[in-house]
Amino acid sequence: MSTTPLNQEHHERFDRLQLAALGGLMIIGTLFVYSATMANPVMAAVPWYDQAWLRQLVWYALGLGAGAALCVLDYHTLARWSFVAYWVTIFFLIVVLVPHIGSMRFGARRWIDLGPFQFQPSEFAKLAFILASAHFLSRPADELRVPLTFWKGIGLLLLPFALTLKEPDLGSALVLLPTGLVMMYVAGTPKGYLLKLMGAVGLLAALFLVDVLFVPPGWWQISMEPYQRDRLLVYFGRDYTAFASPNATPAELQRLRQQELDDQYNVRQALISVGSGGLTGKGWRQGTQNALGYLPRAVAHNDFIFSVIAEEEGFIGSLIVLGLYALVLFSGLRIAGQARDRLGRLVAVGVVTLIFSHVFINIGMNIRIMPVTGVPLPLLSYGGSSVLGSLIAVGLMQNVHIHRKGY
Amino acid sequence: MLIFDELKKNDPQLRLVAAVLAGGLCLLLAGLWWVQIVSAREYESHLETQSYRTVRIPAVRGKILDRNGQVLAENGPQYNLSLYLDDLRKPFDDAYGQALARVRAAQEQLMAAQEKKLGRPLTKIERRQFALSPDQREQLREQARFHVASDVVMQISERLGQPLQLDATVFDRHYEARRALPYTLLTNLDTVQIARFEEQYTGTLGVDLDLQPVRIYPFGEIAGHLLGYLQRDDRSEQGEDASFSYRLPDYHGIVGIEGGCDAELRGRAGAEAVLVNNLGYRQSVNTLSPSEPGHNVVLTLDMDIEQAAAESIERRQGADARAAAVVMDVRTGDVLAMVSSPAINPDYSANDPKYLADPKLRPQINRATQENYAPGSIFKTIVGLACLEKGLNPEQTYYVQEDPTRPGRGCIYIGRRKIDDTVTPGPYNFKRAIMHSSNAYFITNGLHAGVENIVRLGEEFHLGERTSLPTRQETAGIFPSLDDVNSSGWHDGDTANLCIGQGDIAVTPIQMAVMVSAIANGGRVLWPRLVERIEPQDPTSAEAPAVFPSGVVRNELGVHPRSLKILRDAMLAETEDPEGTGYPAKVPGMRICGKTGTAQVMDEHNRITGHNYWFASFAPYENPRYAVVVMVETEAGGSGGLTCAPIAHDIYEEIQKRENVDTPKTLAEANH
Repeated sequence: MSTTPLNQEHHERFDRLQLAALGGLMIIGTLFVYSATMANPVMAAVPWYDQAWLRQLVWYALGLGAGAALCVLDYHTLARWSFVAYWVTIFFLIVVLVPHIGSMRFGARRWIDLGPFQFQPSEFAKLAFILASAHFLSRPADELRVPLTFWKGIGLLLLPFALTLKEPDLGSALVLLPTGLVMMYVAGTPKGYLLKLMGAVGLLAALFLVDVLFVPPGWWQISMEPYQRDRLLVYFGRDYTAFASPNATPAELQRLRQQELDDQYNVRQALISVGSGGLTGKGWRQGTQNALGYLPRAVAHNDFIFSVIAEEEGFIGSLIVLGLYALVLFSGLRIAGQARDRLGRLVAVGVVTLIFSHVFINIGMNIRIMPVTGVPLPLLSYGGSSVLGSLIAVGLMQNVHIHRKGY
Repeated sequence: MLIFDELKKNDPQLRLVAAVLAGGLCLLLAGLWWVQIVSAREYESHLETQSYRTVRIPAVRGKILDRNGQVLAENGPQYNLSLYLDDLRKPFDDAYGQALARVRAAQEQLMAAQEKKLGRPLTKIERRQFALSPDQREQLREQARFHVASDVVMQISERLGQPLQLDATVFDRHYEARRALPYTLLTNLDTVQIARFEEQYTGTLGVDLDLQPVRIYPFGEIAGHLLGYLQRDDRSEQGEDASFSYRLPDYHGIVGIEGGCDAELRGRAGAEAVLVNNLGYRQSVNTLSPSEPGHNVVLTLDMDIEQAAAESIERRQGADARAAAVVMDVRTGDVLAMVSSPAINPDYSANDPKYLADPKLRPQINRATQENYAPGSIFKTIVGLACLEKGLNPEQTYYVQEDPTRPGRGCIYIGRRKIDDTVTPGPYNFKRAIMHSSNAYFITNGLHAGVENIVRLGEEFHLGERTSLPTRQETAGIFPSLDDVNSSGWHDGDTANLCIGQGDIAVTPIQMAVMVSAIANGGRVLWPRLVERIEPQDPTSAEAPAVFPSGVVRNELGVHPRSLKILRDAMLAETEDPEGTGYPAKVPGMRICGKTGTAQVMDEHNRITGHNYWFASFAPYENPRYAVVVMVETEAGGSGGLTCAPIAHDIYEEIQKRENVDTPKTLAEANH
């Protein structure tokens, strides 16, 4: 690539390298959604036209269609409508919280039931946020020095962040933070503001963690779902018995230990899956962790799809997946660098950061460098909203690429 | 490359973003490398411990055969009926689902009734009281499982025409602890039950027959002591994998051949890996290492002689007789028969524990090798040999004086102590002294020859030492050392006792068989051989059998052949002369040399509580091949000649029968 003169690259209408990497990811996604679901006798018994891998393929097609459709309009046109999209998604984020409208799954209200399928407004809120934020931040750099503008930018980020957190969907909320911060940084927000902001966020996070990890029950504790607290306790390896009252009976302590083990279960099984894959893996559809049901069946084909890939294809498979994501991300940065204006540059950077955050958090939780949060792996995890969201996001990037010369 | 292009760009903001991205991806890569390459083995072992259950599979135990290939111990199939839990998983789940629906419906009704009573819908908190706790669910699950399983058992019960009951606690314990293994419903099905089951089995019940080997001893109690017995022991051997999730029943030999040759008989246990799913149900079974079957042990024993000896003891002395008989090939040391009475069943559990614990009968003891007995007069053979070697003239007569208190009986005085002699007073030469077993003659000549010479000769016979049989049932016996007899504590009275096989001496029947064999074969003290060879079970195996050499000489006596001849002639007279004490052993057509013996058994107060009667013999006189030693321990009256010689007679008759069948090929020759 480095030998290719810049002007040659510019002849391409689409960024083909990025599209090829996406294609690779989609092939892997189909294969392993198949592998993950067909090992489950209940899912395998479903008629072929209703099976997860086929549904995934349909979502890929729809997503590619939606992404391509977005490329027809210049991203400037899209950006003009970005605030409409932003407020619409904010509306849905509020609606989803309303009982009877938002449907409850695994203790969280994240989905809106539309009959044949359900959609997750937070997936689209991320995109709308990127567009709106890019539109907002693309104003002249001098204006960004005005504190009010800075606070408005923060507000733009905090609104969907708070609503998503309320669902609760910690993962989706968390990916908004780096996306927003990186966009502000690239837009040219003064470093002093950003450092102070990061300091404040870091302090809040530290206080939050101290509260969760060390404050015994009965004292003031941040209210959060028990499973979220447990996930953090598991991630930081805290002993559950530390939270027992001093006069707890052995039976209670035993129960706490058992609960600790149960809560660690997913992470432990994911680690065993990934680790036992070794260098070359056990072969497609040969992974036992998934087939025997140790890797929980409910998450094997979506949030923990990477475990299935890593177990069956080993370190080499992991390397290929990481490589494909690297291609998508860095070609995205190249698009940002070649963009016609600050708006395009910010959109591309936003999308790149969003995808990166998903990849980092998801793969990270499989190898226990990140706590477990329900963040899908873009294009690989099974799920319509996620696939659609990812492909639309890439469509936005391609849009920036296509319209880099203004034709 | 793309990544480096981005990192080199002259665009500080994008460059920083690219650097952060590259760093993040590198962090993931490093993490993956750590988990998948560095720690791969650790996670693999985690995977194995959670998804594999290893099962120890014992090897097929080797057979025990006699020298003619008759089977003494082998393995028979036992059919067990087992419930396969993995096949019942779906019915379990379905039953649980139904039970849950039923309970929920009942709860709904209760709630509806409650709402009606209150006249308002229940609040969330009130509703929660009707929800099922995890414990209740678990209980429902357990009940559903038990219902399904007992339904299946009922069906099987009908088909087999045999009432079967499933025990809820046992079943539940199995489900919790051994879920990956089948649950055994019924053990040891008979052929009718097997046929019924096979005929009516539809294959959908989750029930099947399991084959389990059991040890079978076709001869029952015959040679029971020699065979020994097995004990349940599932533990791992040395050099074997020590950790198994489950172990199938395995057995170790404790004593006898089963015990002594256990390592060879047992073979090497194999291992199976049962792959289980996250609920612990069996998924598939792989053989990790196949079990290696044990080796067959071929004994030197001849079951026909063994059986004849055992039957003779029982017929003549009763099943409760405390007796032993040993038959040995005098040329090779091969043990052809070794009987201990009362009998014991090698299938240990078939023995009545009360019988086993009987303090008088002590059936567990192998009396042929495991108990010390005073030899009595049969020891006079060694005393006589020592005297002859010291220059005793066999024709020289010794006059036995009459016991003043017992007219017609002899006696001898050692110092002031009088020792009885059962013979009539009068002149005795060597032959007559052996024939009539004169105490006075052998005490006098023994004292004359010197106790050191008797002890020295006894040591040449290796008295007081084990014969190294592999049965773990041996005692060394008692024999004084030269130091003992040279000490100041040793008196002529002790020597007198020793000369008539009493006092400080004890032997086992096997030692006496070795002794008689040495007299018969010209002075070679042999190692007795019980195991002829150990060979692979599979006759087509390329592995050569391990053959134990026969006729291994432990010691050459170094006595003059003339002395042995004199002794043998005297022993011949003992059974052939109608006056001889061993006359009842006589078998027409077979010239038997024998020596009878009677030893008094005293309690701690030196009161006579019983006798050990002996008959030690060999035959044929011209070309000795068989040594037969019979010992009976009893409170009843008798003598070596009247009690033991008839048993020897029966044994020789059986030997003669076999000789005639095999002529001209004798057993001993067939072995060479």
